[in-house]
Amino acid sequence: MRMKTLVNVARYHLVDRLMYVAVPWAILAFSFLINLAIAAMAPRQPGGMYTGGLVSIYVFLLICGVLSMTRELPFGLMLGVSRRSYYLGTALLVLALGVAYGLALTALQAVERATGGWGLSLHYFQVPWIMNGPWYQTWVTSFVLLVLFFLYGMWYGLVYRRWNLFGLLTFAAAQVLVALAVVTVVTLTHSWSAFGHFLTTVQAPALAGVLAALAIALGLGGFSTIRRVTI
Amino acid sequence: MTPTISVAGLSRRYRGHTALDNISLTVEPDTVTGLLGRNGAGKTTLLRIITGLEFPTDGEVTVFGAVPAENEAVLRRMVFVREEQSYPDFRVGTAIRVASWFYPYWSAELAEQLIADFELPLSRRIGRLSRGMRSAVGIVIGLAARAELTLFDEPYAGLDAVARQLFYDRLLTDYAEHPRTIVLSTHLVDEVANLLEHVVMLDHGRVALDAPTDEIRGTAMTVSGPATAVEEFVAGGPVWHRQAVASRASVVVPGPFDAAAQARARALHLSLEPLSLQQLLVHASGGAAQEKVCA
Repeated sequence: MRMKTLVNVARYHLVDRLMYVAVPWAILAFSFLINLAIAAMAPRQPGGMYTGGLVSIYVFLLICGVLSMTRELPFGLMLGVSRRSYYLGTALLVLALGVAYGLALTALQAVERATGGWGLSLHYFQVPWIMNGPWYQTWVTSFVLLVLFFLYGMWYGLVYRRWNLFGLLTFAAAQVLVALAVVTVVTLTHSWSAFGHFLTTVQAPALAGVLAALAIALGLGGFSTIRRVTI
Repeated sequence: MTPTISVAGLSRRYRGHTALDNISLTVEPDTVTGLLGRNGAGKTTLLRIITGLEFPTDGEVTVFGAVPAENEAVLRRMVFVREEQSYPDFRVGTAIRVASWFYPYWSAELAEQLIADFELPLSRRIGRLSRGMRSAVGIVIGLAARAELTLFDEPYAGLDAVARQLFYDRLLTDYAEHPRTIVLSTHLVDEVANLLEHVVMLDHGRVALDAPTDEIRGTAMTVSGPATAVEEFVAGGPVWHRQAVASRASVVVPGPFDAAAQARARALHLSLEPLSLQQLLVHASGGAAQEKVCA
């Protein structure tokens, strides 16, 4: 495994600039303009208007993650690249995009604040509780979330490549079961109040840390899944 | 010298189906080997394991002396052109440019020449190409990569006879100038017979034949002429195949013939013809079934 190979894998994906660069921002721009139009027409509310539109870019990155491990995998592995390098090279791209896109989102949030919510009290790039602290916090949280969604998509794509639809359904069901197990444990140990306390008092850096740990877990899951993928 | 490919006791079983059944073979450096066999004989599975895309159930494969799976030092030195390679939504030119980043001995000059030869439209999306043109993209990458080990698996699906000839010509020319190990899996045996130095034939996941092409040639002869003369000539000897039309007959018998046998055939006014590689393979893989049909 050489750095040059990893960079080449990242470049290989980035050839499709439409998918990795143009479309995510076009979707976000579209969603933003719709929300701007609604904000302009709707009566002003005290405290301004909050939307969930920002989630669109995260969801699209999840789709990019799926495609990077399905549609783009067979030709990638034809090019004398090991599965390990293919995964790590893609992860390198994810980190780079996360840094760049996180910075762009942070800049847009700064503009939003400076213009009083685009003159309409619209909070599109500010998300209460997780993304309304200082700029560097927003950057870190955006970065972690972008990477997390992409890696999650990659894992889904790999599960599909390796075990097809049945595997995909099993994978999704397994996640539901894990969530159920967590709920059960919390209920049985009467920890709901502690859990609620954690959610209401957790600070942005701690939350970013929890999300980063989750992202790493997703990355390790995908990495172990690709090791035996056949094409 | 270390063989380029060494396969020992290799098996690959899928649920309820054995694709490769304990096969062993070697491929020597700087040779052209034909990997032949019927559909489902295991050719593609073998190539996929050699290139690390698939994993063996049993046995071992080494390439350049090391296990290829997940071993980039080995993977980087080979190129594998597959029959139905799927590409991302790329333009032809983009796919070829991307490939050039990954192969250390890539020849841009050769790629350009091949693109011109096959009249490939660089700006068209691969998804919109005809089957033959798609195959040509794989051929361009496979040849221009100049990888030390070049594997082609039915590389010319949908290519017309002229384009196939072009592929053989370019392959031979470039092979002469830049020797490398080439494995070519194909059904069109007679078309490639002159290219091959070595033949490996798989049948139902086993090695049915593994020999230099020169040795195989002349291992069987067709003897034809008046039926009575043919019968007199082959009397007492083994006959692989018999065919008779009216008073004329032709039989396939093991060869080669010594001078005495040849003289005897001339005296009986029989014509002798060595079996082509393709016909030989037909006989090697269930020739008996063929005989029943013909009888």
